Amino acid sequence: MRTPALAAGVRFRRAADGSAVLLIPEGVVSLNGSAAAVLELVDGRRTVGEIAEDLTRRYEADPAQMQADVAELLAQMSSKMWVVWAPENERQP
Amino acid sequence: MSAPYRPLSLLAELTYRCNLQCPYCYNPLDLRAYRRELDAATWCRVLDEAADLGVLQVHFSGGEPTLRPEECVALVRRARERGMYSNLITQGTFLTDDLLDRLLDAGLDHIQISVQAPHAELADQIAGARVHQRKIEALTRVARRPVALTLNCVLHRHNIDQVEDVIALAERVGVRRVELANAQLYGWAYRNRLALLPTREQVERARDRVREAARRLAGRMEITHVLADYYEPYPKPCMNGWGQMFLTVAPDGRVFPCPAAAAITTLRFESVTEKPLAWIWHESESFNAYRGVGWMPEPCRSCERREVDWGGCRCQAFLLTGDAGLTDPACSKSPLHALVTRITEAITAAPQPAELIPRRM
Ligand code: SF4
Ligand code: SF4
Repeated sequence: MRTPALAAGVRFRRAADGSAVLLIPEGVVSLNGSAAAVLELVDGRRTVGEIAEDLTRRYEADPAQMQADVAELLAQMSSKMWVVWAPENERQP
Repeated sequence: MSAPYRPLSLLAELTYRCNLQCPYCYNPLDLRAYRRELDAATWCRVLDEAADLGVLQVHFSGGEPTLRPEECVALVRRARERGMYSNLITQGTFLTDDLLDRLLDAGLDHIQISVQAPHAELADQIAGARVHQRKIEALTRVARRPVALTLNCVLHRHNIDQVEDVIALAERVGVRRVELANAQLYGWAYRNRLALLPTREQVERARDRVREAARRLAGRMEITHVLADYYEPYPKPCMNGWGQMFLTVAPDGRVFPCPAAAAITTLRFESVTEKPLAWIWHESESFNAYRGVGWMPEPCRSCERREVDWGGCRCQAFLLTGDAGLTDPACSKSPLHALVTRITEAITAAPQPAELIPRRM
């Protein structure tokens, strides 16, 4: 299972009012609730599966659906170069 | 009036001093007037006030900001402590490994390094100094560090035909973000407009080539191309609207809604040495002068694009017409659009561009 990390120069920030943004080189991206929930867990250590499990538990969602949603969101973020995939050998259990 | 507006981004111009002489520099012509620069303690207070106002990103620029290396490091650290994203806009000639270490340690998120052209001969001619090779070295070193890196190149008549080579250079040194921006005609660039503005043919060719390269490099390189608004039907939404998202603090402490606004001599701009930043943002006459749509004359007032491009650029309106409160003449609907077409037609008709005047103190 692959391990996502925020790319260099990309930062997640949650404001006091609960709203979340991604700070990127080109500016500020506001995040909806589900994107924020996923990105908040992206730390370069958790795998996609672990992030999905965590959210499944938290939101009592369907595991397979959650797995697919998280994978798709991260794939989108990676095509924008906001998320990168940690090399296999750096992955922690 | 004040409630809905919140700045997201602060441009901190630490100094207008620079060792280069780019004729497209947007800095003001009267550079000497900015010799007195805010000290580090004042800048720290400005960052604190900006964070309190809701600013999320700080861009350190100039001039050449790394001519004040201690301030750069201290201010990047302060921005980080206050949760703000920091970006250093530099021409890279002073970016030693030591300074890089200290900036990254302080929490710098993003570095933008400019080149004047893809090849040394033209690049050095435009910069007025032999610096191209040093810039390439800086780019190569930064590309290996854990920091976002963008290669910038300001495009104009003399280098726009080499736009593909700029992208190839980025590929070669391993840069994943490229910003190609047609020279914005303010400050020194406005003075040099007849030498800088490319022909329509050049602009269109460059646009096609950049599109092609962007397609080829999709997912590997992010290319931003800022077009020359003199050739577009509608003006750019300058700063996303006057006083709506951005503010600039100049080296002397004056606060502007747009980095080119010092040219507007009909407005008085307050300094952070006189007033709190929040007062300037919310209450000052200058920030409220062209906010929203209430100030708009026709044709903007009844135009369906009025909240798309906000009537274009106030500084450009002032430079071209003498009145910052008119529709940007770059707009094809402006009754004064001929002020722009006269320039583009002169460019197309002239066999040789006018001579470049290097930026000088
Ligand atoms: S545009 Fe050129 S002259 Fe102006 S500040 Fe940047 S590097 Fe210096
Ligand atoms: S008329 Fe004004 S609002 Fe409409 S496109 Fe032109 S500049 Fe923009």
